[in-house]
Formats: sequence, C-alpha cells, structure tokens
Amino acid sequence: MAARTLPLLHPQRILLMALLVLVLLFLAFPVYFMLVTSLKSSGEAYRLPATLWPHNPTLQAYPFVIKAWSYWRTLGNTVLVAGLAAFGATMLGGIAAYGFSRMAFTGKSLLYATVVGSMAIPAMVTLGPIFLAYKDLRLLDTHLGLILVFMAEGIPVAFLTLFSYFKAIPKELDEAAAIDGGSLLDIFFRIIVPIALPGVAVTFLLLFIAGWNEFLFAFTLTITPSTRLLTVRLFEIPIRADANTIPYDLIAAGGMLILLPLVPILLRVQKQLVEGILAGAVKE
Amino acid sequence: MSSQIVDRARSRSAAERLGDALTGVNAVAYCLVLPAILLRLAFTLVPALQTFWLSFTDKSLMAPGRFIGLANYAAMLSDKTLIGSFGFTLFYTVTSVALETALGLAIAMLLMRQLRARWISNFIMLLPWVMAPLLAATVWKIMFYEDGGILNQILRDLGVISSPIRWLSSANTARGSVVLVTVWKNVSWVALIFMAALAALPKDVYEAAEVDGANAWQRFRAITVPMLRPTIFLVLMFRGMGEVQTFEQIGGLTRGGPGTATQNLAYYAYQRFFQELRYGYGSAINVLLLLLTALIGGFFAWRMYKASSR
Repeated sequence: MAARTLPLLHPQRILLMALLVLVLLFLAFPVYFMLVTSLKSSGEAYRLPATLWPHNPTLQAYPFVIKAWSYWRTLGNTVLVAGLAAFGATMLGGIAAYGFSRMAFTGKSLLYATVVGSMAIPAMVTLGPIFLAYKDLRLLDTHLGLILVFMAEGIPVAFLTLFSYFKAIPKELDEAAAIDGGSLLDIFFRIIVPIALPGVAVTFLLLFIAGWNEFLFAFTLTITPSTRLLTVRLFEIPIRADANTIPYDLIAAGGMLILLPLVPILLRVQKQLVEGILAGAVKE
Repeated sequence: MSSQIVDRARSRSAAERLGDALTGVNAVAYCLVLPAILLRLAFTLVPALQTFWLSFTDKSLMAPGRFIGLANYAAMLSDKTLIGSFGFTLFYTVTSVALETALGLAIAMLLMRQLRARWISNFIMLLPWVMAPLLAATVWKIMFYEDGGILNQILRDLGVISSPIRWLSSANTARGSVVLVTVWKNVSWVALIFMAALAALPKDVYEAAEVDGANAWQRFRAITVPMLRPTIFLVLMFRGMGEVQTFEQIGGLTRGGPGTATQNLAYYAYQRFFQELRYGYGSAINVLLLLLTALIGGFFAWRMYKASSR
C-alpha cells in the first residue's frame, strides 16, 4: 500500500504511527497498570490520586496472595485440569477430524453440522442441568468432572482447527501407509500427527489457555478451596486482617499470578498461536 | 483408505448405504468420529434438552417439580427486571460487536502497514486475548475506581474532564463501561482475523484501482469491504454468539448494577437458578438465551455462506 513508500516524516505517516501507538497504548495500559499496582506497597496502592508507577517498588503483595490463595496448589489444580482436558480434547477432536478429512460415510454432513451447530448452545444453558446431574453422579467438586466439561467445551475448537490442518496433508501419504498394512489409528499417530505436529501442539495450547481462563463451570462446579482453579480465586479477594480498604495491590498481584505463567507462551510461540487462532476460525 | 472403497460407497443406492451404516467403511469411520461427537453432545445437546424440559416445570431446590406448561414463560412476560435485562443484552451485544468489528478492521489495516517489530505489536495484541474475561474485568475495575482512580486521574490531567466520571456507579456510564471492557478484551481477536483476510486479498485489484484514480476511501468502500464480506460475517457470528452470553464481565465489574442497569440474560438466569434455586424459571430464561444465540449464529452463518459462495 501507498504508505510504505512515504518518506519518514510525511504527515500522513506520522498520523498513522500516532494512531498505531495510541491503539497499542489502549491495549497495553491495563496490563501495565496491573503490573505496577502489584508492585506498590499497600500504603501506596490505597493512596489517591493513583500513581502511574510505584515510588517504592516492592514484591510484598506476592507472598501474601500466594499464601492466601494456596497459590501453588491452585496452580497445580489448574495445570492438571486444563492440561488433561486440552490433551483429551485434542486427541478426540483430532481423531474425529482425521476421520472427516479422510473418509466418506453416511451422515457425514449431518454430523459435521452437529459439531458446528453445538457451538451455538451457550455454556449458561448447559450449566444448570450439568450441575444437577453432577450432584447425582457425585462429580460435583471433583477435577474429573471439570476435565470432562472442559474437554467437551474444547472439542469443536480442536476439531475445526485440526480439520483445517489435516485437509492440507495429501491423502497419498496415508494411502501408501495403508497399502503397507498400517491400521487407521496407526497411520494417524505414526504419520498424520507427526506431520501436523505444529498444528496439534498449537491446538493443545489454545485449549490449555481456554481451560486456564474458564470461570463459569470452574466456579459453579467446585465448592471446596482445595479443588478450586486460579480464575475462581480471583473472585475471592484476599483481605488483610488490619485493613478495611480494598487491597488493590493484592488484587493486582493475584491477577499477575494468573497472567504471568501464560506470558512465556505468548513470547515463544506467538506466530504459531496466531496461525492456530486463524485455522480454527476460518471457514472450510 | 483406498479411494476405490470410498468411490464404491458413494455410488451405492440409499438403501444399500443404510445397510452400510453399521458395517464396513461406516463402522470404521464412526469409531473415529463418534467418541468426540458423543462427548460433545452429552455436554451440550442433552443438558440443553433438559433445560427445555425444566422450563415447563416448577422444579426448585425444595420442590421436585411438576409440569406447569407455559407458566414460567407467562411469568417472564410480567417480569420487569427480565425485560430490562433482555433489552440490555441486546444493547450490549449490538454495541460491543459493532465496535469490535469496526475497531478491529481499523486496527488490522493500521497494523498491516507496520513492517518492523511485528512481534511487539503482536505481543501487545495477544495480552487482552490471553486474559480470562474475569481477569480483564478485575483489572479494569481497579482502573475504574472513581475518586482519584487512575482513569479519572489521567483524564483530569489531560484536561478532558473536570469532575470524575462515574464509571460504574451511574446507570448509563456503567452500561458503556461494560461494553468498553468487552471491546478491549475481544478487539484483538477480531483484528487478527481481519489481518489474515486482508493479507489474502489480491494486490493487483488495488493497483488497478489506484491507476484508475480511486482514493483510499473509495478503494476501501469498493474493494476491501465487498471482498471482506465473508470474514465480516464470520466475525459478527462468533462475536455475536460470544457477547450475547457474557457472564464474567458483568459478574466482575458490576454484578448487574447499579440497580439492575447492567443485568443481562446470562447473569439474570444464573441468579435465578443458582442463588434463588428456582430451576424451572431460570431454565425458561436460559431457553430465551439459547434461542437468541442460535438466531445470531444461524443468521450470520447463512449470510457468510451466501457471501462466500458468490
């Protein structure tokens, strides 16, 4: 486009750069403010007007939240539930996507429409009956219960993302392997998954992030602190015994403790993550 | 799979294909695709049907529930808070989706021109995307603090306002604030989708238009928007279905307040079901939410199909 060839100090170019900076500022500022608030002393966090950077940066809010939330345990719960659910959904969704990309069978388009159509059912609509059923099945307040819900939530994403990756793999590859006498699942795990590994990995990561961030089910289907996940902790503001003001520094530190573990993913596999987001959304 | 088997399955009659349904090619295929689909349906279609059934009963924590026909739906018609939350749901969905789409497209076009340090802008864009909706609401709530909070402080220092904005304590501003947080959270995803679509547009059409003397705005109206139509409908579909069922932003920012100003369908249904333990009535509201979501999804899926098959 024309702007690329404009000289560095062309008014139009400056205007566009200014707009770009403004947009990035809008997107980044809340995260920046959460970071600096988490580094404030408790006195400074309450002080009004609010300060734009910490005058005496301190990490004192973090140990407090880590203790109040039983952070490491909660983190373990979250990794376990989000990780196993993402793994299960990637496997099941991937195997289904493989079937759809390779075989013709009765009711294929109906089943495809069923998976896609099920995305129009809001979580809130399913939550009540799932809660009641879990109460009867004794799955309430268990990690297994959450894993099953998260898996079901993730299946359409896994299916659509991997379907678009698998379609791009030439069929001749697995036909050759079939002639050599491999079974279908054998071909899937030995040939398709290794070729589509970047897609499989990114699908897992997308679902892991989704599970990490899920709140509605995690909040409603767990009761005791020892089964709870990180986002649910965010709903329980840690309170200092001697203060009756809102502990902004603690809330912000809690937020950072939820966000920070995901930052390395954003930095290391950013390009693949974006590709995965697109693969799942772009229509067949 | 050898392709002859596939071809043979295609060329058979309907009755024979029915016979195939439980044998041969089909049996193998079903073994692959059904586990995922059945799990999915067990957690979506089955509970959704149960919600339908519950909505015709007066089941609650105390009452085992008996069939009461359309009484819950009749009660909805005279529930002023419900009608208010239906209205807010529509306002919130339309406003936030419209803003996300327009801003997302603008940001995408802006970022397409930037060639250096892409990873920084991508990193910043992915930050709101990667944050839990409840975390986004929590962060903004700290900034929304009204007397001396950071947003009012910055706006006052810049001379934009003289008295603090009542971000969450006045009804109309609270409605806008909830939209603002949602747009902040979701605009990056929209921008990423549009960036991919823009990158796929044929360059020669633009060059031809430029040679013909079309200015940037004319090129945008005559080329970019028409060619992006399928993507625009895709964005409207996903974001529309997402925003109409918003729960976390409401819970994290306002809990439906002040009063019931930011009460939406999902939050209202949740309160009826899980706080008042009125399973029947809560389910009737959920049926409304389900119909609304399916309507949005179906409509834009249909428009997207039409736009891309042209």
